[in-house]
Amino acid sequence: MRSEALDEAVTVRADFQGGAVTPVAFRRRGREHRVVRVNARWIDRVPRHPHFYFSITDDSGDVYQLQLQSGDLLWWLDAVMVDG
Amino acid sequence: MRPLGRVPSGGAGAGAGTAGMPEASGPAHPGGLPERADERLVLHVDIDAFFAAIEQQRDPRLQGKPVIVGAGVIASCSYEARRFGLRAGMALSEARRLCPQAVILEGHAQVYRCFAEEIFARCREFSPAVETYLDEAYCDLGGTARLHGDPFAAAARLKRAILDSTGLTVTCGLGPNRMLAKLAGKTVKPDGLARVPASEAEEFLTARPIEQLPGVGHAHAKTLRSMNLRTIGELRALSADVLEALFGAPGRLLYERCRGRDTAPVHAREVPVSISRETSFHRDTADRAEIEGMLEYLASRACRATRELDLVARTVSVRLRYSDGEGAERARTPSRASDLDPAVIEAARGLFAALFTRRVALHAVGLTLSNFRPAGATQGALFEEREAGRRAALYRAFDHVRGAYGHGVLVSGRALHLKGRLEEDRHGFRLRTPSLTK
Repeated sequence: MRSEALDEAVTVRADFQGGAVTPVAFRRRGREHRVVRVNARWIDRVPRHPHFYFSITDDSGDVYQLQLQSGDLLWWLDAVMVDG
Repeated sequence: MRPLGRVPSGGAGAGAGTAGMPEASGPAHPGGLPERADERLVLHVDIDAFFAAIEQQRDPRLQGKPVIVGAGVIASCSYEARRFGLRAGMALSEARRLCPQAVILEGHAQVYRCFAEEIFARCREFSPAVETYLDEAYCDLGGTARLHGDPFAAAARLKRAILDSTGLTVTCGLGPNRMLAKLAGKTVKPDGLARVPASEAEEFLTARPIEQLPGVGHAHAKTLRSMNLRTIGELRALSADVLEALFGAPGRLLYERCRGRDTAPVHAREVPVSISRETSFHRDTADRAEIEGMLEYLASRACRATRELDLVARTVSVRLRYSDGEGAERARTPSRASDLDPAVIEAARGLFAALFTRRVALHAVGLTLSNFRPAGATQGALFEEREAGRRAALYRAFDHVRGAYGHGVLVSGRALHLKGRLEEDRHGFRLRTPSLTK
């Protein structure tokens, strides 16, 4: 397994309930990927505005890393985990 | 040795504290409280298989598989990998031979730092003084019983809080000092909780192998084993004078430690001892432009971390590792402390020129800043202050831009050599084996 960088700005549908943000789905290349599981979440508090990271599994079983930059509320698709 | 208690992170929280009380704690203090009100109480928190556990969480397909994180040597491996005899520090070539099916990852230092900070934040909810390292922390629980209740139950709650917030398990050891707290934890890894009371410290240590005593490394252990001393208990046969004659001043410490005595306090360490940045090259290199470019880049990263803590560093050291395994390191302490890139880079380049003398390619390079002072506490020359203030403002502006758009958007000098040669992301250049301060 290794992660392959994508670094793409993406549109994400997210749930902001309970004081926590959770991605629900994201759109990439015209296709909506539904988030079926948030595998891990962590926060980088070093930048002036924290960056929220999520490892998610989509409805195809692929594992991606998403990032929300809280300064500008932009979502990034950081990487996809691939075999090999 | 009598068995010690074990409380998994997913256990029953506060209730598990009593249920899981180690027999060694005995009925004199059934709630896990110290035997005397003034007794010290230290909690050691160790993150289980730290890097590997995070990688297994980030990619669930790795769960249940032997996972190794490291480049060249194992930095961390999962418990599945440990069943094959793998351990931290082992060469990857040896690891591949022992466990060909292991998944080897180079690691993500920035991710691990975020998880560690989250865990240490949970620790600070339970202790006013937390001394942190890369994957472990010492928490001073002295005097916290009124606030948090029974320390054993509080430690169980801390384990649960860490599991809930990060998904990671930790092993906790409680003891009257740092040494005993850490050793107590070692008996119940992973995901355990154990306590050694002061009254049972000597008994707890007696049968433990001599190598487990802090301060006994490979060389000391070899000397002691040659004297037929194999356990910590057997070490007590030697007087303080004999131990000092054998090992110098640290011999007196060993005399105290083998009796369970350790007076080192828990420091919150607001000021770090050092800030390091290092990496190996994607391919071993003797190209000075590439090496100096990398060194300048690492220096600018270390300076930025120093500025973020409002510190200035007095000592700069540079470390080289050659492709044949030889290493070289040298430090320099300029007359004036600084947190600005040009001053640190100048010192680093001088050190590198003096160090890089062999005609052998380099495998890795690193830079460490240490001997910190609070920024603003140093006295500058009267007429230089305006210029110094302008420079400081300039670099703070750089940091602001780098924080927003990534460190790689502003690189200067020889670090420009890396542009186009190394992949970049929003954090900066993608280094082969980035390594942060331990």
